[in-house]
Amino acid sequence: MDPINIAQTARTPRVEFDFQGKKFIIAGESYPEDVSSFYGPLLEKFTTFLSGSADAQISFRFELIYFNSSTAKILMELFEALEEAAGNGNHVVITWAHETGDDNIKELGEEFAEELSNASFIIEEIAI
Amino acid sequence: MSFDVFQREEAVILQGRTLLAANAIVDPVAAAKYEELLKAYEKLARTTRRLIKLSDRNEEQLNELAHTLNQKNDTLATLSDTLSKYLAPQIYRSIFLGQQDSSLITRRKKLTVLFSDIKDFTETTEDLEPEDLAYHINNYLTEMSRIALAHGATVDKFIGDAIMMFFGDPESRGVKEDAAACITMAIEMQQRARELRTRMAAEGFERPFHMRIGINTGYCNVGNFGSSDRMDYTIIGSAVNLAARLQTHCSPDGVLVSYETYALVRDIVDFEERESVDLKGIRRKIKTFAVRSLNEPPMDPSRQFHCDQEGLKLSLDLDKIVGNARADALRSLENIAHRLRDLIQTESSADRSQADADETSAL
Repeated sequence: MDPINIAQTARTPRVEFDFQGKKFIIAGESYPEDVSSFYGPLLEKFTTFLSGSADAQISFRFELIYFNSSTAKILMELFEALEEAAGNGNHVVITWAHETGDDNIKELGEEFAEELSNASFIIEEIAI
Repeated sequence: MSFDVFQREEAVILQGRTLLAANAIVDPVAAAKYEELLKAYEKLARTTRRLIKLSDRNEEQLNELAHTLNQKNDTLATLSDTLSKYLAPQIYRSIFLGQQDSSLITRRKKLTVLFSDIKDFTETTEDLEPEDLAYHINNYLTEMSRIALAHGATVDKFIGDAIMMFFGDPESRGVKEDAAACITMAIEMQQRARELRTRMAAEGFERPFHMRIGINTGYCNVGNFGSSDRMDYTIIGSAVNLAARLQTHCSPDGVLVSYETYALVRDIVDFEERESVDLKGIRRKIKTFAVRSLNEPPMDPSRQFHCDQEGLKLSLDLDKIVGNARADALRSLENIAHRLRDLIQTESSADRSQADADETSAL
């Protein structure tokens, strides 16, 4: 699958999907005017990739400063898909990076991670 | 079909509906319970969808408000910056720190007040083009304001070529320290004025400015004067009037102070007494003192000593006594101290003898 590289805008995050290297990043702010049209194609390609993966080392990095409620729903979908892939024998590592001092984003990541039992979850504090 | 954020939930609902439609659950009680559960799930999905929509809308409004607030803050900051140019920095700061009351309230404080002007300003500048006049006067006022700010003066107002400043409000270092700061500032102002004259002459200005400075220390009423719609933070009182009068009596390029100011700063600045002046409404004549040695920097208390009391006028500058002159100076001072000690001892003995004699005659 061809990689996906979407540059950050005022309302949408930087997206880097490297299907070959199995490394995925979503970073920045996310409150798109139309969450379905921005995340729909990404989610579909990602779930297609996951369904074809077996015994793969998959890493997904979230480095978000702000996201709205619709984006939160998308993130929950991603977490659920990654957890399912981990349950199917893939080695999945989810990294949730938050800005130093941003306890709000940190706690949101911890809440998303409550549904995880197979995938690994790492909280990382960074200077953005 | 376009992507739906709730497509997984919709898929579950469709699956459930399909199951029910196909009568896949044989037990009617179980089927009824299943349908009830499915309906509850559908309702939950709808509620969640609405909540997310509402949350997004609220966040959007909050972001817009935050953006508007930022814009208003920027506008306010620009306005504040512009306004600050029309107020003394100390007054501006105390207003924005919430320390100033915008009502017509005044209080009495002991301040050191300074008035300065340019001697014969009208005659000096009448031949100047307005643009040249504006250039020179603005340059002069800018330089004097810079000096005032550096010394912590509150610049009350500019009236053409005249400047009115004071020390002691809204901030005070103490009455003596305020007077010291004022006199030090005044000396620096005259030194700078001398440099400006040289520059003005070099620029072809035939009649450079000669500044006069008058300083007085006394109780003033300080605060907001005027009307509640339009007020001025300033000072009034006879102490202010005296400072202005001293300025008009001052020689060009000089600094003339009242006795009150002189008494506070005579240990750091060399003065000579000048003629007393009359002030309307005050019966007594006002003693005046002119700063001497304006060409020299203000006294350093650790290197220069000055004593001025009845019967004793002493001025000692350690930087100016060099070589053998130091030993001579020491001998002179020791000689004076020796004579004064003898005089004190003689008078003390005479007082004791008289006291003994009085005691004997009483017995």
